[in-house]
Amino acid sequence: MPRTTTVESSGCPPLRALTFDILGLIKVVEAKGEQKEAPKVVETWGEPDASRCVLAASLVDREFDPLLGVARKSGKIEVLSPVNGDVRASISIESQNHPGSADNSIVGLHLFKGERLGSSSRSCNLLTCTSKGQANMTYVKMSKSLEDSGGESTQTTWNVCGSGSILCSKVDGDESYALFGGKGVEVNIWDLNQCAKVWSAKSPAKNSLGIFTPTWFTSATFLCKDDHRKFVAGTNSHQVRLYDISAQRRPVVSFDFRETPIKAVAEDVDGHTIYIGNGSGDLASFDIRTGKLLGSFLGKCSGSIRSIVKHPELPIIASCGLDSYLRIWDVKSRQLLSAVFLKQHLNSVVFDSKFSTREAQVPPQQQDTDETLQTEEEEEEEEEKTVKRKKASKEHSGSKKLKTKKKSKRSKGDSNDIA
Amino acid sequence: MGRKRNLSEDGGREDEEEKPMKERRVQEKQEGRESMRPSMIKNKEKRAAVHAKLKQQKKVEKRKKVKAREAAEKKALELGEEPPPKMVPRTIENTRESDETVCLPDDEELFAGNDVDEFSAVLKNERSPKILITTSRYNSTRGPAFISDLISVIPNAHYYKRGTYDLKKIVQYANEKEFTSVIVVHTNRREPDALLVIGLPDGPTAHFKLSKLMLRKDIKNHGKPTSHKPELVLTNFTTRLGHRVGRMIQSLFPQDPEFRGRRVVTFHNQRDFIFFRHHRYIFETKESKQKESKGKKSKDEKNPQERTIARLQECGPRFTLKLISLQHGTFDTKGGEYEWVHKPEMDTSRRRFFL
Repeated sequence: MPRTTTVESSGCPPLRALTFDILGLIKVVEAKGEQKEAPKVVETWGEPDASRCVLAASLVDREFDPLLGVARKSGKIEVLSPVNGDVRASISIESQNHPGSADNSIVGLHLFKGERLGSSSRSCNLLTCTSKGQANMTYVKMSKSLEDSGGESTQTTWNVCGSGSILCSKVDGDESYALFGGKGVEVNIWDLNQCAKVWSAKSPAKNSLGIFTPTWFTSATFLCKDDHRKFVAGTNSHQVRLYDISAQRRPVVSFDFRETPIKAVAEDVDGHTIYIGNGSGDLASFDIRTGKLLGSFLGKCSGSIRSIVKHPELPIIASCGLDSYLRIWDVKSRQLLSAVFLKQHLNSVVFDSKFSTREAQVPPQQQDTDETLQTEEEEEEEEEKTVKRKKASKEHSGSKKLKTKKKSKRSKGDSNDIA
Repeated sequence: MGRKRNLSEDGGREDEEEKPMKERRVQEKQEGRESMRPSMIKNKEKRAAVHAKLKQQKKVEKRKKVKAREAAEKKALELGEEPPPKMVPRTIENTRESDETVCLPDDEELFAGNDVDEFSAVLKNERSPKILITTSRYNSTRGPAFISDLISVIPNAHYYKRGTYDLKKIVQYANEKEFTSVIVVHTNRREPDALLVIGLPDGPTAHFKLSKLMLRKDIKNHGKPTSHKPELVLTNFTTRLGHRVGRMIQSLFPQDPEFRGRRVVTFHNQRDFIFFRHHRYIFETKESKQKESKGKKSKDEKNPQERTIARLQECGPRFTLKLISLQHGTFDTKGGEYEWVHKPEMDTSRRRFFL
């Protein structure tokens, strides 16, 4: 029976999200603060071109000098500024077989935020993975001026799998481990410092009828920010599995979700709630410790969900996919806060959580020059802040029941904290 | 289910619900003194009499209104003024829920998206459409008859026996033979009930429910179509999804119609139902009614009173489609991603349409 009563929703808290679509457009969706306005598309970057189709995106979400990595279908990787969309660097991954070809496209991209190989504000590290299983660690030097967007790079390449095709790759919170999985590839965990395989999963046993379901991982995520040992993977046979490296090679918990393949899995900061999206547009949250359904996110979502992200501070998630809508949901009440129609099939979405503070700090016309001038002191400050935030988020999960009533107030309070 | 709810919810809520009901009843009673509703009369004969009287009254009033309107119109015409604006009836279509996905003609992103979508190769005349038609595993009676009708409608369509092949294998085969689409006619109880249209080489796959099928031979005074390439009429495909489905249908037909053939194939979308019709048309010169000609066609061109009229003849078949799902990529029920699926929770309003 359809739900006839609607729970009073508190409207959209201030947020900024970036979406990436199959025409290579990057659209910035913003909801401005106090008036509880509906989010709107404020900016569109890039020209519509199918060869520039965005396959993967990664955001370094920090107050000072945030970076956005975008992997295009043509095999190019661009590092942009998520503030104004300027291309900071653009490289193409070199490999034996051309990555631009259809059968060896980039499936995963991660931009490192931590210090690695002496990266500074003028350079960054990124990890890419192609569907043939070529993982690539690249060190990119960014040019300061906009005209010279070439950028130097050094690369290290290794093979993650011999056969099959990789469909998902993720890097853990400490950025020292990465997992890869796909069609015909069991999930692997690699140590990024040594470029060595640490662990690989084992496929579950045949069922009672002696039927073996072939391995086909479609999405995966690490469960917790500080722990690389537990991760959740979704399979094409609509199964969600929790693996624990320290326990066993077979899944610890596994359960089914609906009838279509799992297409997106995202974790909450509390470390036990996960959000699952599947090929027919169903979105639900599960408690992974028990494998029990917490609830479904209902709202006329009709197209396959390609990407789910949790906002780092606010209790909201965003989902997007083939129905061309960016949907923002409240986590606690599981109500749809707003839906933005973005005209193209969307491939991924990221939250830019620090935008309000950034706007407060720097007036927009000075941003470019100021970013390069800022000293390391600020970076240190920022680190302290992140620590604080972690603590805060832990406290949040502790007082879960109290929160629901004061949701609107608290979200306001959060934004004040950061500012 | 109702019982369960009663058990779970305490009596307090029932009281709340009853209160306004009582108030409403009281209000009705107060109004009732002025206008008694016939349904409140218990004697049947009296009730019928009152009802008839009321109905008569309404009819008279309506007639008066219409007459007044007509008079006003006439008067305006005589005086040469602007006639009063025509009333537009409220229909479900024109009170449709506002939809932000409706395509606008000045949307550049839409055209950019169209240029690179799966159908653009066919629609830009780079590939000529070649259709493979097959059936479900079992088919009989109306199924094959429908297919032979369909082959006469769609140019360059080829029927292949289904045999025991998997649909995925058939798609693979069709890809190798450079077909541009696969149509699967699904029959249930000897009656075609679903249509699966697969775009090749990479999707999408549309699943339609097929109903109200009338074959050519069942249509009275049906015409026999020629083998000319037909013209195509697609109406009312407004939203993004509708646009996509429209383009998919368009890609089944050649893009260079032969107007000599005077064949027209119509896909008309109304309230998410797509009506298919197939006609032949003819332009005729006909005498006007002043010369009694009993509908005879005279090709006498000397007559100054003649005018050209268009006549339609239906060729059939005739059927109605309703979209159930649109899948990204070719047919894959297990691992497929859907672009759009119909879900029961969408049906909360009868004024919401998706195409």
